[in-house]
Amino acid sequence: MSLGTRKDPGEEPLIARDATYYRAPDALRARVMSAVRREAREEARPAFWRWGGMAAAFAVVALVSWNVALLQARGSEEDRLAREVETAHVRSLMVDGHLNDVASTDQHTVKPWFEGKLDFAPNVADPAASGFALMGGRLDYVNGRAVAALTYRHRLHVVNVFEWPSAGGDSAPVLLTRRGYAIVHWTHGGLAYWAISDTAGEDVLKLAQLLS
Amino acid sequence: MTRLARFEQTVLPHLDAAYNLARWLTRNEHDAEDVVQEAFMRAMRYFDRLKGNEARPWLLAIVRNTCWSWLEKNRPAEVVALDDAGTVSADAESLGQVSGMDANPEVILLRSANRKLVNQALEELPVAFREVIVMREIEDLSYKEIASIAGIPAGTVMSRLSRGREMLRRAIENRMRRAS
Repeated sequence: MSLGTRKDPGEEPLIARDATYYRAPDALRARVMSAVRREAREEARPAFWRWGGMAAAFAVVALVSWNVALLQARGSEEDRLAREVETAHVRSLMVDGHLNDVASTDQHTVKPWFEGKLDFAPNVADPAASGFALMGGRLDYVNGRAVAALTYRHRLHVVNVFEWPSAGGDSAPVLLTRRGYAIVHWTHGGLAYWAISDTAGEDVLKLAQLLS
Repeated sequence: MTRLARFEQTVLPHLDAAYNLARWLTRNEHDAEDVVQEAFMRAMRYFDRLKGNEARPWLLAIVRNTCWSWLEKNRPAEVVALDDAGTVSADAESLGQVSGMDANPEVILLRSANRKLVNQALEELPVAFREVIVMREIEDLSYKEIASIAGIPAGTVMSRLSRGREMLRRAIENRMRRAS
């Protein structure tokens, strides 16, 4: 090509070499990193969970319009338990040492610890491979009775899962949000579960799925 | 290593290059930041398509495309279509006219032009010329890399580069003349 032979373009004077090289501000670095992590998390989440929250919201709306009276009765019960669960969760995190009576990542250490302390055997799982690491457990008092509280770590978030016997049949997870906390409650295998954390609602729903 | 960790190790180190290009193309720091964030999210989405260790040109191609989409949407007047087929030969001629400029006192004068003057003149260049100069002279990319980033033939990169330099040179001279 004639352009190359006539003059090596690489030897041309660098007109713009005095121009500014703009470095990324630190705030942008932080912003980009969190956006990238959000994007990675979004991709890792199956489509079911992406739409699950919305579907749950629609289901709640449908329930409301179907039977207001029934929901109000259930709502006040649900509201009371949500408040109790929130209180227990906040208290458990207030001072170091409140969170766990038995601190262990081994479910075979945590589960036997409850023996003789409760009139039921709580479900203790270790879904560490799915991003929820068992931290331990403690006794707590919710809904007018002694309950098992299991703690799981999801990234930097602590999830409290309260369990106690329930006479009713199985029920699908319901997601509530209270003052920034995500609360999911469901019934499975004769146990009522109430899980709470300051992480995203979808994450708590995922744990509910792992424990059922 | 997780996909995210690999991304943070190979792509994130080129954040400065991404921002510099976006800043020069949008000519505004806030818009550049928005574009860079959008580009990094796209890069994460298409990370599997990155082959080998050519992360910088790969990322800059995404930044460049994000910039152009942004310009087309927000400042359509700045994005003018170029008839490259017609300009290549004309550029080769104009390049002949300006060859030998190195020894010219004008060039020596140009080299003392201050950063502010160069910045202003470069900012006023049409974006298609501005981007090749930024990539070549400020980001120090090869012709081949610029060609693949901008999606144009290497010959077009060279012609835009020489024409862009000529325009820039005139703009700086005009500014200096007005200043003196």
